[in-house]
Amino acid sequence: MSEELALKAEGLTKSYGRVRALRGIDLEMRRGEVLGYLGPNGAGKTTTIRCMLDLIRPDGGTLRVMGIDPQDDPVEVRSRAGYVPGELQMYENMTVEGVLRYVNGLRRDSADWSHVRELADRLDLDLAPAIKNLSHGNKQKVGVVQALMHRPELLLLDEPTLGLDPLMQREVLRLILEARSGGASVFFSSHIMSEVEAVADRVAIIRKGVVVEIADPSSLIRRAMRRAKVSFREPVDAGRLAEVQGVTVLSEDEGTSALLQVEGEMDGLIKALAALPVSDFETERPSLEEVFLSYYEDDEEEG
Amino acid sequence: MITVFRYSLRRLRGQVLGWGIGLALLGLLLVSMYDSIASNIGALEDYLEVFPEEFAAFFGDFTAFGTPEGFLGVEFFSYMPLILGIFAVLIGSGLLVSDEESGRLDLIMAQPVSRTGLFLGRLLAFVAASVGITVLTWAGLAVPMSWSTMDVGRGQLALPLLTMLVQVLLFGALALLLSMLLPSRRLAATTAGLLLVASFFITGFANINEDLEPVAKLSPLTYYQAQEAFGGLNWEWMAGLLGATLVFVLLGWWLFQRRDIRVGGEGGWRLPALPWRRSGSGEAN
Repeated sequence: MSEELALKAEGLTKSYGRVRALRGIDLEMRRGEVLGYLGPNGAGKTTTIRCMLDLIRPDGGTLRVMGIDPQDDPVEVRSRAGYVPGELQMYENMTVEGVLRYVNGLRRDSADWSHVRELADRLDLDLAPAIKNLSHGNKQKVGVVQALMHRPELLLLDEPTLGLDPLMQREVLRLILEARSGGASVFFSSHIMSEVEAVADRVAIIRKGVVVEIADPSSLIRRAMRRAKVSFREPVDAGRLAEVQGVTVLSEDEGTSALLQVEGEMDGLIKALAALPVSDFETERPSLEEVFLSYYEDDEEEG
Repeated sequence: MITVFRYSLRRLRGQVLGWGIGLALLGLLLVSMYDSIASNIGALEDYLEVFPEEFAAFFGDFTAFGTPEGFLGVEFFSYMPLILGIFAVLIGSGLLVSDEESGRLDLIMAQPVSRTGLFLGRLLAFVAASVGITVLTWAGLAVPMSWSTMDVGRGQLALPLLTMLVQVLLFGALALLLSMLLPSRRLAATTAGLLLVASFFITGFANINEDLEPVAKLSPLTYYQAQEAFGGLNWEWMAGLLGATLVFVLLGWWLFQRRDIRVGGEGGWRLPALPWRRSGSGEAN
């Protein structure tokens, strides 16, 4: 397998009893890339990540992490990866420093402690208190520090900013970008579209255990359906616009204005509007969140 | 594995001190009491004669109560596997599954630790803790012998404690195996505890009812030497018990190698997994 790929999954499947969590995941992540992994609860994000670390074993398909099958050499994969679990739990009676030293001990003290302190300082994390006395956000910071402290080649982050305030969210995103600048590959799942948009080179959208789309965020947004609001100097038959390929008339106001949904290129609509007495024309690009939600509209209808 | 062992043992230090000091104090008390009991042994033996034979079946040879070995056998060693079995069952069942159910195992196993390394590190910590409790117990019995008329050699005193240690290791390994098979630590501990209690009663009742002897052969406590150990260990029994312990450990290890690690909470029933070829071959199950 090419060493240029940090991750490669082909036809990955995993079931929990009757629940099919992964139904054939096909995914590639290049080295030095930040790949956002988007999906609602239960889509299979955590299952995918845990397969990468050999915490669970897929039922079928192939998976390579930095060129290694995690089941063949899980220790090597884990030594080169840093992981923030989605449900982070630690020994409550240990101090923050105690937990980090324990993790570092499991990593044969590979982390430079000055780097640990630096990360803690940047995240405003006090190393002294016991874990049980920390807020959820501060516990999450411990998770981020332990994942980053040994400067891993690959970061597997399952909702890394969960519970963090906006300032710390931004700091974590900075750390992710710095890791990438340092050559690391970052695979992270998140529900927060703005942060995925901010840092991800590409976004993979998972739906019902299958990756339905992988593209860079701007391309996704560009290809997605947009809305256009058109005002006319005199009433027109908005039905003419509905005949343009990719255009749906969402609403109209007695021919004086119309709200349109446009899928794909705007060229057809622009040419159609050129023949009409247009007084105003506005378009808005959907957010990544709207793009993401559009992949799940069918699920809502079925519900 | 060394780090796993160190931290696991550190987390068990409360158990070692609690059980070890508690049993040591009990031993100290009993040995200290022996002199006053020995001076009234005639009256005491008359008293013990009216006890039903079933009682003797569980607590050893009352006729030897006047001897140091008999006294320690009845008052201490006869029920010690049942008492320390609680420690073995609770710790053994939770060695791995406790962290799994709490969700902590994800963070640990995301580090470069093999499943075998984690399993062995935790198991060795349990063994070391068991040895620690045994040593403290021995000290509690040995120290007061300096001022007691009880003339049991310190080396001789270690013999029944060794058989006790082996029972602890066996039931701990059984509890560990059950935790790999059953849906929860709670169920594994309960099951192992029931087997421990059943073993105690079957062994005891088999002493007074020959019909139970075939069943008692399956009970680990049948091969436990309490006061009998003072006369020398039955090494065949010791080897058999250690062999059974090793089988439980190996099965537990094999199952741990193959199971999915839960995110947290209790799980479902796990039947022993067949050694399927994993996804690396590209074959679907």
